[in-house]
Amino acid sequence: MIWLRERAVLVSAVILAVVVLAAIPRLAEPYYITLVLPAFAYGIALLGFNLLFGYTGLLSFGHALFVAIGAYGAAVLSSKLGVRSFELIVLIAGLAAVTAAIPVALLAVRYVRIFFGILTLAFGMLFHSFLFKFYDITGGDTGIRVLRPSLFGNDFKELDKIAFMIGPFYYYCLALLVVLGLVMWRIVHSPFGLHLAAIRENPRKAQYLGVRVRLFRFIAFLISAFYCAVGGAILAINTGQADPELAYWTHSGELVFMTVLGGFANFFGPLVGAFSFIFLKSELMGATQYWRFFLGVTLVLIVVLFPRGLIGLAQDLWSKARRR
Amino acid sequence: MNQNRRKILKALGGAGAIAAAEPYLSFPAIAQSRTLKIGIIAPKAGIVGTIGECGLRGTLFAVDRINAAGGIAGRKIELVVEEETNPKDSIERLRKLVLQDKVDCVQGIVSSGVSLAMGAVAEEMKALTIFWDGTTQDGVKETMFNPRYIFRSTDNECEAVMASLLAIKYWKGKFVTIAGINPDYSYGRNNFAAFQALLKKFGVEVKVVADQWPKVGTLDLTSHVAALKAAKPDLIFSSLLFADLPIFMKTAHGAGLMEGGTKFVFPAAGFQHTGLKKEFTPEGMIFGHNTLYFDYKDGSALQKEFVQDYVAKYKDYPHWEADRAYFAMLVYQAGVEAAQKAKNAWPSQEDIINAMEGIKVQSLGGPGHMRKDHIAEQTFYQGLTTHKNKYDFPTLGTLDIMYSEQLQKPPGMDFWKWIETAQIKL
Amino acid sequence: MTAFFDILIGGVFHAAVLFLVAAGLQLVFGVQKIVNLACGSFYALGAYFGISSVNWAIAAGLPPVSFLPVLVASGVLLGVIGPFIEALLRTVYHRDEAFQLLLTFALVLMFQDVLRFFWGANPQQLGNLSMVYGKIAIGAVQVPTYNVLVILASVLIAVGIGAFLQRTRFGRILRATAENREMSEALGVNVRRIYASVFTLGTVLGTVGGALVVPTAAASLDIPVELVVEAFAVVVIGGLGSMRGALAGALIVGLMRAAAISFYAELEILAIYLVVIVVLIARPAGLFGKPVE
Repeated sequence: MIWLRERAVLVSAVILAVVVLAAIPRLAEPYYITLVLPAFAYGIALLGFNLLFGYTGLLSFGHALFVAIGAYGAAVLSSKLGVRSFELIVLIAGLAAVTAAIPVALLAVRYVRIFFGILTLAFGMLFHSFLFKFYDITGGDTGIRVLRPSLFGNDFKELDKIAFMIGPFYYYCLALLVVLGLVMWRIVHSPFGLHLAAIRENPRKAQYLGVRVRLFRFIAFLISAFYCAVGGAILAINTGQADPELAYWTHSGELVFMTVLGGFANFFGPLVGAFSFIFLKSELMGATQYWRFFLGVTLVLIVVLFPRGLIGLAQDLWSKARRR
Repeated sequence: MNQNRRKILKALGGAGAIAAAEPYLSFPAIAQSRTLKIGIIAPKAGIVGTIGECGLRGTLFAVDRINAAGGIAGRKIELVVEEETNPKDSIERLRKLVLQDKVDCVQGIVSSGVSLAMGAVAEEMKALTIFWDGTTQDGVKETMFNPRYIFRSTDNECEAVMASLLAIKYWKGKFVTIAGINPDYSYGRNNFAAFQALLKKFGVEVKVVADQWPKVGTLDLTSHVAALKAAKPDLIFSSLLFADLPIFMKTAHGAGLMEGGTKFVFPAAGFQHTGLKKEFTPEGMIFGHNTLYFDYKDGSALQKEFVQDYVAKYKDYPHWEADRAYFAMLVYQAGVEAAQKAKNAWPSQEDIINAMEGIKVQSLGGPGHMRKDHIAEQTFYQGLTTHKNKYDFPTLGTLDIMYSEQLQKPPGMDFWKWIETAQIKL
Repeated sequence: MTAFFDILIGGVFHAAVLFLVAAGLQLVFGVQKIVNLACGSFYALGAYFGISSVNWAIAAGLPPVSFLPVLVASGVLLGVIGPFIEALLRTVYHRDEAFQLLLTFALVLMFQDVLRFFWGANPQQLGNLSMVYGKIAIGAVQVPTYNVLVILASVLIAVGIGAFLQRTRFGRILRATAENREMSEALGVNVRRIYASVFTLGTVLGTVGGALVVPTAAASLDIPVELVVEAFAVVVIGGLGSMRGALAGALIVGLMRAAAISFYAELEILAIYLVVIVVLIARPAGLFGKPVE
């Protein structure tokens, strides 16, 4: 019963990862703990992004748009509308992103492949210009402040921001990641998810078989927008400010980079990619002023030599080791 | 830190959390022999890269001099340089500097957006931070109200106020229609709005015949110049400050916008001064050099030495960001040394902060001091351009010097209210 | 009336600049179906290198009047990097398009630091050199001659590439390969060499474009990421892969922008996106593009 053993290995690996993550605040140095929060945020965002990219085969170069909506949603809700409940913020920001995604998706899913990528890039930059331009509403280049949310109604007033972020907020986001991960796992393994895979492999054939290609792509797009917004909200709370650069196309490029770094063909790839990229970028930025160059080189190596990402690399090494 | 808090923190995460949550701890006895670590966050790439680069050069000059003289109160400075990019990533670098590198002080920041985000975070982390720039007045109330650990640069666009005052001083009665071409972000908007508010205050009746908002860093301004030409304004106010400024100058000159006696006001021209060549930059324009005018004949020996050093090292002439950076380092040094003297032992961060409030220094560009509300006051230089110099770009023929106390709102006041009600002299 | 012509010429000039950025992008996509996110980087490289070349030439004693051919030559010279980058891209031709896009994104990241490494953070410019050719009077309007030269250059390039693709044998082979790669290969076409030449040509279009425009503008570090957006807007409007589309798209964007600046300046940045969306709703493949799927 090989698949049962593999399943057991998978489940134990996930549990181990969660345990390790939960233990980090006790073990690691404070700076690295603060890095894990953006990793959670991007992990959630990329789970959604990869539904569209890895599973449906649509490469968007504009998904930072939805991350930005999540961030600005958290900002407007917390600092302008007085909504401090993190649960409400996540929900409303997510729904805002879905709403914004509807017209974008309607236009974009008519296309595939490269056209889809260019279109989404254009929409992302349109939002960026909007954020910059309408400074009365959006704060322009300076953005909008994001205030600390309350978790399950609890303010944690006695904790200062750092303690809050490497304490209750950390565990909350970890739990959120696990929950949203489970939801995505169900989505991906549902009939809907299998249809998406079929659409990715051969859209014409899928259509012939009665799969409503455009509708399913559309839905996948909306789900990905929701996840990206949740990630964006967490990012914004971590930073304390929502600014327009979150919507810039190179940020979208980073999302793709992270996904491919981890391995887009695997469910856990994006998560691995988010963590790896955050730490890689941080170390590079500290080591050299030409970190962009080395990030570029890393991406070239991944694309040319390790297209299945770190997970693919790990799988190859694992099977080589087993064969010996 | 009270006992309850400690208990909760222990429950959540032991040593790591506590170390992070405590304000900066100093160990006086050991401190003496260690170097003083100062973190610098400055942009290196993109359109603000050149500004960050100039600032960093000012910091290096300061550190070289201070270390050659024995350091700050006997401790040599060690710089840890990080890059300022966007608010999200820049804050990560701040956290690294404070939590990982454990720097004693953070200096830097050019962009207003980053300064707002970073201000809030630095306050929460109780990390002593001195901003070079980021002078917007929007959003400051929300993020940095009554700062304790942050020290900021001059509070509003002093250069806009001064340029406006000079325009009124030199040209009152000589212009009726005005036009603006300003970069489309908070700096540009605040500049032009301040100009108009000051005109109103001094009873100068004008009509705005053109109002351009090119995207920050636009490289093609032919259409904008064409529109300005069509509107035929008597005076053009432009706070363009990046590569778009020399491009505007070239294009405007080529299109004939500078013939016909139009007056020009450029509050931030100093940033690009070496790129504004004489062939296309006529005399008689109001140029702002903020806190460092490199060619100031009566400048201090320090300034002259700095400019000579800069020219020799970098084959270029410095602009005011170098002075902002130098001022930040100077204020910190003065504060530490004053506090150390008073205590006769290595001062704590609280001691240093208290000493820095009200401290007076002689920066590269001239005298300056740090207000009690943690906002800087410095000397500002603007004037009318002239071609009578040895360079291939204009310098200031008529020079006006104002101390920022005349240009900046007093503590706690709203900028626009201040413009309306204050006694501002020309 | 003068004002109208001023605005018109300003719009056409901007269109010419946009076309030069988009032309290389269109050519490469038309034949190889690769979207080169690094098109802005090539343009920036051409701008920086062009400035250095002109400065060297003048320091070496060349008269300032000759700077135009120096610029063009420097742009063409940069074409040597074309084959190397194409060789890199070749490793992912057979794979999903996503990888090609990602590879060019990696190039964008790398180029930003390469430019900064060689030329520093200060914006570079050629001062008033472009005025060496003086001004032309078109009616009551005075336009710098150089601007007119830039406009003529883009028209020449557009017409030239069009003629090249339609009339020459090589051009026909290119179009055939674009239509059906396997068939071309079966018919004995050395597709590898074709792709290498096309990419190099596309690179040269970018670098020459950057060099040509830099006398009226400046070379700054944000060009690689900023220009991509405008270039993409132009090709979306005009239709991916179509040279005529690039010209039409550039004209529409340039004129719309000029009109917005003159009549409703606040709309300037958004004007380009509005046109993109309108075109997409009305004619999804762009004005001259071929619809896909």
